[in-house]
Amino acid sequence: MKALVLGEFGEQAALLDAARSLRARGGARLDLHSPYPLEGADEVLGLKPSTVPLVVLVAGVIGAISGYLLQWYTVGYDWPLNVGNRPPHSPAAFIPVTFELGVLFAALAIFFGLLAAWFGFPRVHHPVFEVEAFRSATIDGLWLSAEVEGKDAEGIAAELRRLGARQVSIVPEAT
Amino acid sequence: MTLSPYQGGRRLLSISAAVGAAGLALTALGSALDPRRAVYAYLVAFVYWLGIALGALILLGSLHASSAKWSVVLRRFLEHVPAVLPLFAVLFVPIVLGRHQLFPWADPGALEGELREAVAHKARYLNVPFFVARAAFYFVCWIAVAHFLRAWSLRQDAAGGVTLTRWQRRLGAGSLPLLGLTASFAAFDWIMSIDPRFYSTIFGVYWWAGSFMGAFAVTNVAAFATRGDPSQFGAHMNLDHFHALGKYLLAFVAFWAYIAFSQFMLIWIANVPEEVPWYILRINGGWLWVGVFLVLFHFLVPFFALLQRAVTRSPRRLALVSVGLLVVHWVDLYWLIMPHLDARGPRLSPWDLTAFVGVGGVAVAFTVWRMRGTLAIPVRDPYLEVSLRYLPR
Repeated sequence: MKALVLGEFGEQAALLDAARSLRARGGARLDLHSPYPLEGADEVLGLKPSTVPLVVLVAGVIGAISGYLLQWYTVGYDWPLNVGNRPPHSPAAFIPVTFELGVLFAALAIFFGLLAAWFGFPRVHHPVFEVEAFRSATIDGLWLSAEVEGKDAEGIAAELRRLGARQVSIVPEAT
Repeated sequence: MTLSPYQGGRRLLSISAAVGAAGLALTALGSALDPRRAVYAYLVAFVYWLGIALGALILLGSLHASSAKWSVVLRRFLEHVPAVLPLFAVLFVPIVLGRHQLFPWADPGALEGELREAVAHKARYLNVPFFVARAAFYFVCWIAVAHFLRAWSLRQDAAGGVTLTRWQRRLGAGSLPLLGLTASFAAFDWIMSIDPRFYSTIFGVYWWAGSFMGAFAVTNVAAFATRGDPSQFGAHMNLDHFHALGKYLLAFVAFWAYIAFSQFMLIWIANVPEEVPWYILRINGGWLWVGVFLVLFHFLVPFFALLQRAVTRSPRRLALVSVGLLVVHWVDLYWLIMPHLDARGPRLSPWDLTAFVGVGGVAVAFTVWRMRGTLAIPVRDPYLEVSLRYLPR
């Protein structure tokens, strides 16, 4: 059973220091929540480069290829259409649709890729919102969340208090 | 920020001036030996280097129009590059003198058949006095805008304050329609009118798109080259500035491809007899392979190279891609102009090289000369601090 430990900090430096020392301790999946972009958060959390761009590129290329094949098969091969006496298979005329399908597939891949990778779809409600005070993360609060094994939650909470957290909450049974 | 005036570049100045003078002299010799080929080669070199200076001016105007703060650290370079435009007004004289080689409409009496009809129909626009008057108007506009944007920025180095920033923004934004239209008509006059039958309203944008990309490429190369010189702008740029320039380069590689394809597809699909011969000329003989080369190296290869952060966030690799694009941009202009000289295919002549280094050499020398003795960064621009701390997230 996983639990989520939340701690609120008043200063950016204290938040980053706490994240750094919890990361050194290990055993917890850390995340930071703040109303504005935090400089240095990537490095403190040890985030790897996102895989989303690669997924989008692959999806875009697949979209472009299938857009071209769709046109070639329908009007160039299976049922050749004479449009203004151009050859049925006219690459120049196929480019706009090819481009649009590439863009469409790439955009859908971003949308569904982010839903799956970042929001953990089909989960519809993130456990951080169990804590009422967490709303300050969109106003003026700097929050650290740590996903840990249930039995470690108390230890991490004590550690967060020691590192200077203004308030600490535990969300049990956060899956 | 304290900065000493730029005093370097003496070697670059003397070498490029010497190479430029030699190149121009040899091209002049070429115009005696092989007049048509030498004049065509000169036109390619002229629109190549002029386009980069003009692209930098339009870029400078757009940065002012959008009140861009991130770019203040590199803005002075974009003010210096268009300061070369008065030199191009002088370098335009050989094109007027070589008009009989370049433009069929300059001698309407010698034409026959369909071409004679087309030229007679357009004679009120395509005649020598109006051609020269239009060119004079373009140069007056460009030189004036470039002069004031640079002069006000330099004056701010001493005077400070926000008034001069406000003036620059008004002029930069307000001059954009004028710059866009004059650049477009310059391309109609100097490149498109080589074939008086052909017309394409997007033609000016095609030239301008490649030139704008060239201006970014030159900025990248200059920024990389001056990274070790504290009196120059490259040393004060951070990786995010290079990244932003790389993203712009990617955008304008794609923009060029979009314009090039739009022009081709519309003309191909409409199949109108006045327009199609321009492309028929370019898909026959050796020119087809130049077109294929452009699709590959003016679009596909740089596009996928610049998609990668490993390239756009590395000043060295970005400069390398930029140099490649500057070469391909020359091929693009060669493909735009030379098929009208020789329909069989590309045949390089020594005058292509001499004209390229001739115009380029004197242009680089002139630009470095205008740079020397001035500060390489607008040190009292109110947004310089914001620009130095630029962090796009």
